[in-house]
Amino acid sequence: MRPALRAEGLSKSYGRTVALDALDLAVGEGEVYGYLGPNGSGKTTTIRLLLGLHRPTAGRAELFGIDAWHDAVAAHRRVAYVAGEPFLWPSLTSAETFDFLARVRGGSDAAYREQLTERFQLDDSKRVRALSKGNRQKVQLVAAFASRADLLILDEPTSGLDPLMEVAFRETVREAKERGQTIFLSSHILSEVEALCDRVGILREGRLVDEGTLTELRHLSAQTIEVTFGGPAPRLPALPGISVAVAGANALRCEVSGSIAPLLEALAEHRVLALSTREPSLEEIFLHHYERSDPRVGR
Amino acid sequence: MSAASAIARRAFADSRARNVSFTLLFALVSYANVVGYRNTYPTLKDRLGFAHAFGGNASIRLFYGEPYDLLTVGGYSAWRVGGLLSIFAAMWGLLAAVRALRAEEDAGRQELVLAGTVGRRAAYLAALAAIGAGWAALWLAIFLGLVGARLPVGGSAYLALATVAVVPVFAGIAALASQIAPTRRLALELSSGALVVALLLRVIADTSSGLGWLRWTTPLGWSEELRPFTGSHARVLLLPILAATTLLVGAGLIAFRRDVGNGLLDRSDSGPPRPRLLSSPTALALRDERGSFAGWLLGTGFFAFVIGLISKSVSSAGISGALQHRLQRLGAISITRPSGYIGLTFLFFVLAVSLFACSQIGAARREEAEERLETLFALPVDRRRWLAGRLLLASGGVAVLGLAAGVLAWVGAATQSAGVPLTSMLEAGANCLPVALLFLGVGALAFALVPRAGAGLAYGLVAVAFVWQLFGGLLGAPRWLLDLSPFQHVGLVPAQPFRGTAAAVMLALAALAALSSLWAFRRRDLTGV
Repeated sequence: MRPALRAEGLSKSYGRTVALDALDLAVGEGEVYGYLGPNGSGKTTTIRLLLGLHRPTAGRAELFGIDAWHDAVAAHRRVAYVAGEPFLWPSLTSAETFDFLARVRGGSDAAYREQLTERFQLDDSKRVRALSKGNRQKVQLVAAFASRADLLILDEPTSGLDPLMEVAFRETVREAKERGQTIFLSSHILSEVEALCDRVGILREGRLVDEGTLTELRHLSAQTIEVTFGGPAPRLPALPGISVAVAGANALRCEVSGSIAPLLEALAEHRVLALSTREPSLEEIFLHHYERSDPRVGR
Repeated sequence: MSAASAIARRAFADSRARNVSFTLLFALVSYANVVGYRNTYPTLKDRLGFAHAFGGNASIRLFYGEPYDLLTVGGYSAWRVGGLLSIFAAMWGLLAAVRALRAEEDAGRQELVLAGTVGRRAAYLAALAAIGAGWAALWLAIFLGLVGARLPVGGSAYLALATVAVVPVFAGIAALASQIAPTRRLALELSSGALVVALLLRVIADTSSGLGWLRWTTPLGWSEELRPFTGSHARVLLLPILAATTLLVGAGLIAFRRDVGNGLLDRSDSGPPRPRLLSSPTALALRDERGSFAGWLLGTGFFAFVIGLISKSVSSAGISGALQHRLQRLGAISITRPSGYIGLTFLFFVLAVSLFACSQIGAARREEAEERLETLFALPVDRRRWLAGRLLLASGGVAVLGLAAGVLAWVGAATQSAGVPLTSMLEAGANCLPVALLFLGVGALAFALVPRAGAGLAYGLVAVAFVWQLFGGLLGAPRWLLDLSPFQHVGLVPAQPFRGTAAAVMLALAALAALSSLWAFRRRDLTGV
């Protein structure tokens, strides 16, 4: 798979703050990649470096094999971007904004744009300054998807959208995927990433802490085991790789990363009525990465 | 009440860069004038000669207003300090009021404030309190400058008061404009228009015989009529007090009643697409800037027309050859013909066009600060090309403004058969360009190197260079130090010949600065607010 987007040892410091620390990343053509992380973890920094808007402190970023910083204009020919903050030109109407962005890009699919304008229920005769945040976000989305660009870089694209529009957004992403477009989706809406993305990267304090398909992440990550006892839940001894929480009067919820054997040994001494295990949701995987250790010690 | 005081402190802190630079400027000008006069004209004989030269010299009054007594240090200072600084004080007043009363709202922050426990009345008063604090700082700066130069304390306090008396009036005008206009930009344009008219009225009143009564029609004239050090007509203070109260209360009443985020002027929020000027980022910049450019054109054009109109009636005071030398030290020239008057006046237009250049740097910076450049530069748009496009556009604006000033001054003069040829007026207009382009280039470099402070630096450099040109000589500064100000190298066309070499050097420096700015801008991170 040829990468549409690649980062190699990509790092960025602002003064003493390390915003991104040696990121290695490759997103293949046709792939939908979910880029997860809480606020301030470096998602937007990554995107700014990928687009050559900020200069890497070390490492390099490439779009379709073209250096994002040194050859930004050429790198952007096949790229469309939806910025996290939908600042546009306040004096232009949506239609004029589409027109302007299409002309600067050098073309866009007008018929598809019409279709998207309708799908997102956008009144394109309104000036941007009169639009709410959600509606300005729609303007960006319509412009980006109508460009039919080979690579779409979306920075929290659904912030400000209502649930109906979220549905429209997912439909549009699936259409783009069917057409073979690559999508880099930065988000912290886990259900959205779970529903749309082939692969997920989890960013924490400027470092990629986990990456893979959802199945892989589930495999590597903690599984949840709920244990119900025939009496009050006992206090279990400290076990390696296992965290235990009380879940009701007679039950414990155990998060297990790694082998399940120590837990089973510990449980053998007690009267266990039921044992249920389930795959972790993306949310649990995500939270797992952020609760695992004290961030000040973690680096 | 603590919430309101938090707002006031925030507003005061937000404008600290402007407050600090104006305060320093005011203190420096006040001090330098007094000391300079004492050094240059130590004896009564010197002062008599000076007074004779200036008493009837209309062109000098243009900058400083009507002199009432040029034989004492106090009288001279009242004229020079008060006349010039009251214009700057008015500018400060309207910038501060638009910032506090419209810009915050335009940016959407006011909603946040009003959603809290602060009422509209408290928020409005808090904004005024912040302006009041800055106002007090300006007063103090002038006062300390004058006292530091050993003028009497009482008289200094009164002169300082007379000078900053315009602040609440222009803050009031801007407060009203902020209620009318829905955007920061329009509010600034409306209130700047009022300042241009006020200045024009003062200029006409001070320079045309028989029209002195016009001074009473302009707040800038009231400052003169307060007569610091020359009789002290303190009752005149009632005028600014009355005007400011009316304006501020009126603006407040509107502010308490209207929808937050809107102005009285309705803006059309939808319309059919107009595809003109959307073909490139530069075209869009032209589309966005043309309204404000029209404002600049109207302001400078109108001013130039009036200058031409009165150029013949401002009579020539006979100036002896011996005094010629001294006048030149003040940056003045002999005014025996309309062309001399216009030549001196055009230094104003050099300043105005330079300020326009700075405003274009400010506009470019806003595109970046409001993150539109992120959207733009994620497209196949070259950064250098974008900045070069904006600089070319600004250069075009500079050229049109300068030449329009020349042509309109000629039209005004021609209606009075003043005998000023069009060619020399075109030359006078073109003469504005090198300095303005130099500041454009330097401003662009500042924007590329220190994005957040770039536009402020550009404005600051223009102000310092202009003031230094006016006062540096008085302080007995060495030649090379004086020559640092680009304004020092402007020939007063059409009275003096065009200084080709100086212009060429400035243009070369401008080009160098502009090219460096393209290079530096390509290599830096885009920087938000």
